[in-house]
Amino acid sequence: MKEYTILAAISVLIAVGLDIVSGIRLLRRKDYYFFLVIIFGFKLLVNGYLTSKIVIYNPRFFLGLRLFTIPLEDFLFGFSMITIALVIWEYFNRPSMRKA
Amino acid sequence: MSRYLLVLVFSISVPLVLSFYPKLNFYRRPKALFLSLGAVTLIYGLWDVLAVFRGHWWFSDSGVWRLRIINLPLEEILFFPVITFCCIFTWEALKYLKHRIK
Repeated sequence: MKEYTILAAISVLIAVGLDIVSGIRLLRRKDYYFFLVIIFGFKLLVNGYLTSKIVIYNPRFFLGLRLFTIPLEDFLFGFSMITIALVIWEYFNRPSMRKA
Repeated sequence: MSRYLLVLVFSISVPLVLSFYPKLNFYRRPKALFLSLGAVTLIYGLWDVLAVFRGHWWFSDSGVWRLRIINLPLEEILFFPVITFCCIFTWEALKYLKHRIK
């Protein structure tokens, strides 16, 4: 079973859900997509190196689709991780935003 | 230094130095920073432990130290706060630059 694929997809659903439930709604902001494009560039460098030399993936558990050396699932993993991080960051930054 | 650790040092170097740029006021909310890095490290660290346990992926001996915490190399655990820090910094830097341009 493609366990990594399934977990990665679930993580995206959780990240999107957290964005909505928290009321932060990063995914409605154009700025956020611009940010994701910038991060995508860095990800190709860093994750590209890690997935080519250091981390080895079991073909049983992911789809086998890669961009350069990076499994498709890693993009879902990265997207959910970054989105959750920034929703929490923005959530606990709100009081200062009100003051401003 | 392991190659994985070098990647992390390389990743965080510029963001860490620039995060102290006074006008960015990056450390105004230490609680938000701590909670964000902590939550991501905990959640994705547990995912990683499970993934390594199940054999979804593993690490080349030539890229990481031998030290393991549960079943993860130290570098893999550091990946989460380091990369999350880089992302939050980038987000704040973009906000600042946008504000400056306007």
